Amino acid sequence: MTVAVSISHVDKFYGSFKVLHDVSLNVNEGEKVVICGPSGSGKSTLIRCINQLEEHQSGDIAVLGRTIDGQGKHIDFIRRDVGMVFQNFNLFPHMTILENCVLAPMLTRKTPREEAEAIAMQYLERVRIPEQANKYPGELSGGQQQRVAIARALCMKPKVMLFDEPTSALDPEMISEVLDVMVGLAEEGMTMLCVTHEMGFARQVADKVIFMDQGRIVETAPPEEFFSAPKNARTRDFLSQVLAH
Amino acid sequence: MSDATLQADRARPPVSPFVERLKERLFPTPLSGLLSALGIAAALWIAFVLIRWAFLDATFTGTPEDCQQTTGACWAVISARWRLMFFGLYPYELHWRSGIAGLILIAVIVASCVPVFWSATRLALLWVVSFALFWIIMHGGVFGLETVTEEKWGGLTLSIFIFCGTALVGMPLAIVLALLRRSRYPLVAKVAAVLIDTVRSLPLVTILFTVSILLPILMPDMPLSKISRVILGMALFFAAYQAEIIRSGIQSLPVGQEEAAKALGLGYWHRMTRVVLPQAFRRALPPTISQFAISFKEVALVIIIGVFDFLASGNAAYGSGEWAFTYVEVYVFLAFVYFLFVFSLSRYGAYLERRMRVGK
Ligand SMILES: Nc1ncnc2c1ncn2[C@@H]1O[C@H](COP(=O)(O)OP(=O)(O)O)[C@@H](O)[C@H]1O
Ligand SMILES: [Mg+2]
Repeated sequence: MTVAVSISHVDKFYGSFKVLHDVSLNVNEGEKVVICGPSGSGKSTLIRCINQLEEHQSGDIAVLGRTIDGQGKHIDFIRRDVGMVFQNFNLFPHMTILENCVLAPMLTRKTPREEAEAIAMQYLERVRIPEQANKYPGELSGGQQQRVAIARALCMKPKVMLFDEPTSALDPEMISEVLDVMVGLAEEGMTMLCVTHEMGFARQVADKVIFMDQGRIVETAPPEEFFSAPKNARTRDFLSQVLAH
Repeated sequence: MSDATLQADRARPPVSPFVERLKERLFPTPLSGLLSALGIAAALWIAFVLIRWAFLDATFTGTPEDCQQTTGACWAVISARWRLMFFGLYPYELHWRSGIAGLILIAVIVASCVPVFWSATRLALLWVVSFALFWIIMHGGVFGLETVTEEKWGGLTLSIFIFCGTALVGMPLAIVLALLRRSRYPLVAKVAAVLIDTVRSLPLVTILFTVSILLPILMPDMPLSKISRVILGMALFFAAYQAEIIRSGIQSLPVGQEEAAKALGLGYWHRMTRVVLPQAFRRALPPTISQFAISFKEVALVIIIGVFDFLASGNAAYGSGEWAFTYVEVYVFLAFVYFLFVFSLSRYGAYLERRMRVGK
């Protein structure tokens, strides 16, 4: 099996504050990894290092066989193959849904407009909102916006998808519509790294679950083992809190 | 208000709410009622005197002597000297050229306000073509048009030209300065900041004196004409302020916007032109409109370095002896033309804000 994302011995600082301590993680192609852990434990920072929204200070990160070397051009190529979905959707509010979806393929992959729009409609149908294509993000509900954000990322035909708490900003009744889309994506074999506290989702799709605390990976295990027999005391604490809800 | 009056209010038969409110505002007690009545009377009287001066007793055409027979405004000076105010010292028999050239610029300003033209290429094309046309018609020397050098340009046409030139050079410069000030390279950001703050701390007059008087002394072989130098000076001044307006628009965006664009693999140029700047401009629209209004009015400062703009032409219009007593009418007219321009600009700004609130 080929490795899609390889992170080895990564350290990351914000100023003098060390956020990531010697983090290593391999994600194979087609593998789904769920990352959980208390707030401030460095989960976002870790996945944002993968597409270099944050720079790391030491250690190596390689994505799809290309090592990140801090050169601008190089990183733009990696980003085109790595989709990212944010907690706050981050759709471009001055563009329609369709324009949001065709922007990057047209600008970076030089896809002709008709083709880009056809692809966009195909993905909007997959996330079940093709009828909203000509609306503006502000006219959609949170759940709809997040599904558009997923479609927008997919329009670049990424090989890896990163999710940073994609359901945390949603009203409870909208969470499942987004998770359904993510489950569908997982079933099609997409390589996924998801930061989420949706333990049901983790049980259903994850190949491995990672628990982070204070900038370190504390525990890595397949979901059955992770939930039924967590080895680490902090993992047990955390799980008892999350599952209590 | 006491309970008793409240009840009395309810008991009263319904009156139109407007009349009701007026009554309550203007005549709540006998004393304020009296003051209100006096105020209204004074306002009516002032309005009457103004209308009598401006319309009823005014002279609209004729000679200075005709004017002096009446007590009202002497608008005859406008009908006698409007060509001087609009076209300055441009050769009299060629005024039509200055008129057409001025109208072209006004047409392009209006066209730039129409959303159809809002793409960098269309705007650039529109302005480059119209400036070329303006130059051909104003300056001549080609197509059998007699050459009229820049020293002879003047009046409203020249003021509009200087304003357009300022905005056209100043806006791209402002964008560049705003982006440089946010550069990730500290030295670049620092240099841009110092430049912006230096220009902002100089009065426009000193910049105008520098470009018009100092520069030719320091660089005698300077290939640029006086008006081009004035435009460059004013553009620099405009850019320093506008850069900060644009930067405030950029800073007000959620960081997630640029991150999302990065995550999609868009390069710096595309992130700025497609995601960051369009949103920053929408957010910075009200101060941008005021900056345009201020710049339009600041063009009048060029009078002190001897450029024959609209204001200077107005001074000349009454300054020639026989019309000397009509300065009030001339300034009222100048003010009215300025008002037309700047008021339309503000209304347009209000329209844009309404339009953008819908999400476009
Ligand atoms: N831009 C930043 N500058 C300084 N500290 C930051 C920054 N972003 C995050 N941090 C800190 O780094 C730590 C990890 O943050 P983050 O990766 O967002 O955690 P998580 O996503 O697990 O909640 C937190 O203590 C947070 O306060
Ligand atoms: Mg986070």
